[in-house]
Amino acid sequence: MLPRGVIRRVVRRPAGAIGLGLTALFALTAAFAPRLAPFDPFSVDGPSLGRPSGRYPMGTDALGRDILSGIIHGARTAILVTGLVAVMVLVLGVLVGTTAGWLGGRIDDVLMRLTELFQVLPRFFLAIVVVALFGPGLNRLILVLGLTSWVLLARVVRAEVLSLREREFVEAASASGASGFRIVVREILPNALPVAVAYLGLVLAQVLLIESSLGFLGLGDPNVISWGAMASNAGQFARVAWWLPVFPGMAVVLAVLGLNLLADAVTDVLSGR
Amino acid sequence: MTRRYLVRRLLQVFPICAAILLVGFLLIHLAPGDPVLAVAGDSGDEQYYAEMRERFGLDRPLPVQLGIYAGKVVKGDFGVSYTRGRPAREVIAERVPASLLLATTALVVAVVVGIGFGVVAATRQRGILDVATSTVALGLYAAPVFWVGQLAVLFFALRLDWFPVQGMTSADRSGGGWHHILDVVHHLALPALVLASQEIGAISRLARSGLLDELGRDHIRTARAKGVRERSVLLKHAMRRALLPVVTVIGGRVGYFVSGAVVVEILFAWPGVAQLLVSSVQSRDIPIVLGIFFLVSLIVVIANLLTDLAYVWLDPRIRYR
Amino acid sequence: MKTCRRFSTAILVLALIAVGCSDDDDTETATEDTTSTTAAPTRGGTLVVAIDSDPGGLNPAITTSGATHTAAELMYNGLVELDDESEPKGELAESWEVEGEGAVYTFKLRPNVKWHDGRPFTSADVKYSFDEVLLKLHSRTRASVGAALEAIEAPDEATVVFRFKQPYAPFLQQLDVTEAPIIAKHVYEGTDPLTNPANQAPVGTGPFKIAGYTKGSEVRMDRNPDYFKEGLPYLDAVVMRVIAKPETQVSSLEGGEVGWLFDVPGPDIERLKATGNFDTLETAINPGGSSCIMTVSYNLDRPMFKDVRTRRALAQALNREQFFERVIFREGKVAAAPISSGIPFAHADDLTGMPKFDRAAAQRLLDQAGWKREGTATRTSQGVEGVPDGTKLAFEFLSFPTFVQYGELAKAQLAEVGAEVTVRAVEPPVFADTVFTKRAFDTSIISYCNGADPEIGVRRMYVSSSIGPVPFSNASAYRNPEVDALFDEAQATLTKDERSTIYRRIQEAAVRDLPYFWIVETTSTRMFSDKCKGFGPSGHFAETAYCTT
Repeated sequence: MLPRGVIRRVVRRPAGAIGLGLTALFALTAAFAPRLAPFDPFSVDGPSLGRPSGRYPMGTDALGRDILSGIIHGARTAILVTGLVAVMVLVLGVLVGTTAGWLGGRIDDVLMRLTELFQVLPRFFLAIVVVALFGPGLNRLILVLGLTSWVLLARVVRAEVLSLREREFVEAASASGASGFRIVVREILPNALPVAVAYLGLVLAQVLLIESSLGFLGLGDPNVISWGAMASNAGQFARVAWWLPVFPGMAVVLAVLGLNLLADAVTDVLSGR
Repeated sequence: MTRRYLVRRLLQVFPICAAILLVGFLLIHLAPGDPVLAVAGDSGDEQYYAEMRERFGLDRPLPVQLGIYAGKVVKGDFGVSYTRGRPAREVIAERVPASLLLATTALVVAVVVGIGFGVVAATRQRGILDVATSTVALGLYAAPVFWVGQLAVLFFALRLDWFPVQGMTSADRSGGGWHHILDVVHHLALPALVLASQEIGAISRLARSGLLDELGRDHIRTARAKGVRERSVLLKHAMRRALLPVVTVIGGRVGYFVSGAVVVEILFAWPGVAQLLVSSVQSRDIPIVLGIFFLVSLIVVIANLLTDLAYVWLDPRIRYR
Repeated sequence: MKTCRRFSTAILVLALIAVGCSDDDDTETATEDTTSTTAAPTRGGTLVVAIDSDPGGLNPAITTSGATHTAAELMYNGLVELDDESEPKGELAESWEVEGEGAVYTFKLRPNVKWHDGRPFTSADVKYSFDEVLLKLHSRTRASVGAALEAIEAPDEATVVFRFKQPYAPFLQQLDVTEAPIIAKHVYEGTDPLTNPANQAPVGTGPFKIAGYTKGSEVRMDRNPDYFKEGLPYLDAVVMRVIAKPETQVSSLEGGEVGWLFDVPGPDIERLKATGNFDTLETAINPGGSSCIMTVSYNLDRPMFKDVRTRRALAQALNREQFFERVIFREGKVAAAPISSGIPFAHADDLTGMPKFDRAAAQRLLDQAGWKREGTATRTSQGVEGVPDGTKLAFEFLSFPTFVQYGELAKAQLAEVGAEVTVRAVEPPVFADTVFTKRAFDTSIISYCNGADPEIGVRRMYVSSSIGPVPFSNASAYRNPEVDALFDEAQATLTKDERSTIYRRIQEAAVRDLPYFWIVETTSTRMFSDKCKGFGPSGHFAETAYCTT
C-alpha cells in the first residue's frame, strides 16, 4: 500500500527503523506463535504464581499458566483485533471519505454530519458499556472499535481527495473522459492511501490500548489469551507476583510504541519532512 | 469568526445529542439482563417482579418507554434510579465534582508539562534533553493508563510511601480548612499524574513537531534576522501557530481522557462518576447508566465545539464555508 | 423465658426449634455477653472499614443488596440476632413465646429503646416495618415470611404477635438485622419508603448512628451513646470507605489507611500475616450467605448431559485440589459431600460414590458414554442418545465475572480429557436470567450457600418443585421423586438423628445422579489491624470491637 521509496526513507530514520522493527517483531511473533511458545498458553501445568525461572522465563500466573507463552499467543489476539478493526476502519473510512470528498454537495454534508456523530461517541466508554452489558467477546469489541474508529480516517481521506481533485492529473483524466469511479479508484485512492495508512497506525495503537484497558476492568474475554486479560488478573496479585503486571504491560507498550513510531515516520516522510 | 458559523455549529449539537440518546437507549434496552432480577437479588416471586417492572415503567412497549424517557430528558429529568430510589440526575451530580477535580487537574498538568516538554525538546533539537524528553513522552504515550497506574501505586505509594493509595480524603478528619485542602491535594497528586501521563506524551510530541515546523518558517527566520530575541521569537511568533495541532489533539482526545479517568478512578477508588457507572452497569440501573452515557457524550460534544472555536481563534486564516 | 409447647404434628420443624426447647432453663438468652475477651476493652477510637461499592442507600429494610446491608446494619437492629451457631438471641425483642404448634409467635419488646432521634421504639414500629416495608420490598423476607404470614398484631406498646397460616418453624432465624431490620414508623409513615430521604440519613436503633454519607466515598457513623446494650459500642466512630478493587483495599490496609477488610484475596493473606501487623478471622459467612459450596451444575435439559456417565466422567476429570490451591488459595476446603460441613449433622463426607480426580477413568467413561476421541482432538459423539453423531463435546461454562477463574481452570482441566469448554462470564442479573428464567446454558458454577440448616439452602437445589424462574433454585433441573419424598420426610421429622439419616440418603442419591458437582467450600478471611479486637464476623461486626491506639 506504500510506495517502495517511502519504505526505504522510513527505514533510514532511526525512529522509523525502530518502529518498523517492533511492528515486524509483533507481526512475526503472532504469525509463528504456536512454534515460538514453549507451552500451551492455557495449560495449567506450571506452579501457581511461579517466579521467573529458566523453565518459565516470565513466571507463571495463579492458575499455573506460562506468562511467556501467554504473551506470545497474546500477540495473535492483538493482531487479530487490530487487523479486523483495521479492515473495518479502512473500508469505512476510505468509502465515506472518498464519497464525501468526490461527490461533495449534499451527500458530503450528510456524511460529514454522520462522522461528527461518530466522532463524539466516546469510543472507549462505548466499548466499556457494550462489553459490560453484552458480556465479553472479541467480536463485539472489534465491532464497536471498528464502527467508532473510522472517523479520523474518513476526514483525512476526504481532505486528501478534495485537494487531489483539483490537481492536474485528475483534471487530465477527467478531460480524457474517464468515469468518476475510475478516477477515484485509479488516480485518487493510490494517492490518498499512504496518508490513510499512516493514520491507521495511530488508530491501531489506540485500539491496542483500549483492548488492554478493558482487560484491566475485568471485561476481557477469558477464552482467548490476550494481553489485556492477562493484565486484569495481574492487578490482584501484583504485590505477591510483580511479573504478572510487568511483562504483559511491556508487551503492550512495545507494540503500541512500534505502531506509533512507524506511523509517525511514514507521516513525516510523506509530508516531506 | 462569522456569527453564522457559530450559530450553525451550536445548532448541530442538538441532533447529535438526540442521536446519542437514541443509541444509548437502544443499546441498554437491547442488552441481556433483567434489571428487576438485579433489584430482587436472590429471591422474589412473579408478583414482586411484576410490581417492580410496573414501578420502573418496564412493562410498556419499548417505543413508548423511549418516548416517555425522551420527554423527561428534555425537561432535564433522567428518571429515578432503580437501586437508589432517587433521581438519577441527583445521584450523578453528586459524583461530578470529584471527577471534574481530577480531570481538570490532570488536564492542566498535561498541558503545562506537555508543552514544557515540547518547548525544551524543540529548542534543544537533538540534544540530550530533547532525546530524554522525547523518549519519556513516547513511552508515556504508548503505555496503558492502568499499567502506569499499577506501577505508580507499587512504587510511589507502597515502596516510597509518598502518596496515599486510594480515596480523595483521609478517613481521619482532624483538621479543617487548610488541612482539608492539603489532604485532598495529597490524595489528588498521584491519580492526576497518572491520568495526565498519556496526554503529556501526546501533547509534548505535537508541541515539539509544531514548534520545529514553525521555527523553520520564513517569518521566523526574518524575525531572527531582524535581531528579535530568541525568547520573543519563540513565544510571540512561533508558539501561537504551533499550538494549533495541540489544541486539536486535546479536543480530539477528550474521549480518551474520559476513558482514562474511568480507569484511574477505579484504580484509586476516586469517588467520581466512574465507580457509579461500573456498579450501575452491573445492577442494570438503566437511568443512571443512560444518564452518565449522555453526560459523557455531551462533554465530548462540547469539547469538540470548543476545539473548533479555539482553532478559529488561533489561526484567523482558517475560513469556514 | 422461652416457652415451647409440645409439638404433636410438626409440619415444619427445624433443628433450631428443637434446640430452643432443650434450653428451657437458660434464662440468659436475651442478655448480652459482651466482654468475653481477656483484656478489658477500652473505649474510643475510629475504625476505618473498606467496602466494595457505594451502598447507594442506607435502608436495609427495602433491599437485599449486600452493599446497603454491609453499611447500614450497624445502624439498625432486628428483633433477634443470630449467634455463631445461628441460634437466635434477643435484640429488640427481649423474649418470645411460640404457640399453636409453631403458628403463633408472641414477642415481648425490650423497654426503653430509643431511635437515634430520641423517640421511643414501640410495637407499632415493628408492625409497620413488616406490613408496609419488609413484606413488600425486602425480596427474601417477602418470599419466605410473607408467603406464610396471616397477620401481625400489636396489642400493646411492648408486644407483637405474628400469626401464620400454618406452623412456620424457620421464623426466628429470619428476624435478624439482615432479614428483618426494624425501621422507624414515625420517619417512614405516609411516604414512599423507596424514596424517603431518611434512606440517605437513617434513623435507627443500632450501635452506631449516621454522621455523614459522602456518595461514592464514605459512610461515617458515630457511637450511639444511648444504645440499649449496656456499655456498647466501644468505638467512637466507624468510617466505611468505598474501595472497589481488592488490590487497592489491600494496599490501603498495608498503608494504614484502613483497619478492617471483609475479605482478603488469598495470595495476600500469608504475606500480610507475616508482617505481624494484622489479625485474621476466618468465617464461613460470605456476602451471599453462610456455608457456601462452589457448585457446578449440568443443565439436565441438554441431551449432552442426560447420561450420568458423562456427568461422572467430567466430574472425575476435575482436579479439585487445584481449585483449592490456585483459585481459593486454601481459603476453605475441597467439598467432601453435597451438603456443607457447616451443617455437621447433615454432612455425609464418607460417601463412596463421590467422584475422585482420575483422568484415566474419566477418559474410559467418556468412551463408554459414546464420546470418542482421536489423538488429542475434542471428543465427538457416536451413538449418544439425543445427540447427532459427530457432535463435538463442546459446551459453555457460565459464571459471574468474579468466579471466572473457576471457568478458566475447568477449561484447562477438561481439555485434557477432550472436552472443549467456552468460559462465559456474565453479570449477576444476566446470569440469573440465563440460567433460571431462560435455562439457556450448558454448565454453570454457582456459590450455593447452604445456611444453617439444609431446609434453607439445600432443599431448593434438589426438589423438582423449585425448578423455575426463581434465582438460585434448582439450576440443573434435577427431578427425582425419591429425593422429593425424602426432603418432605426430613421436614416432618423431629430429631436430628433421624434427619441426619434422611439427609444422608438424599446425598447418596445426589452423588449417584450427579446433577451437580461440588467443587470447594469457601470461607472468607476478614483481616484487621492487630490494634483492634473483639470483632464478630458479620452484621454487627463492630458492635463489640475496640481498638488501642
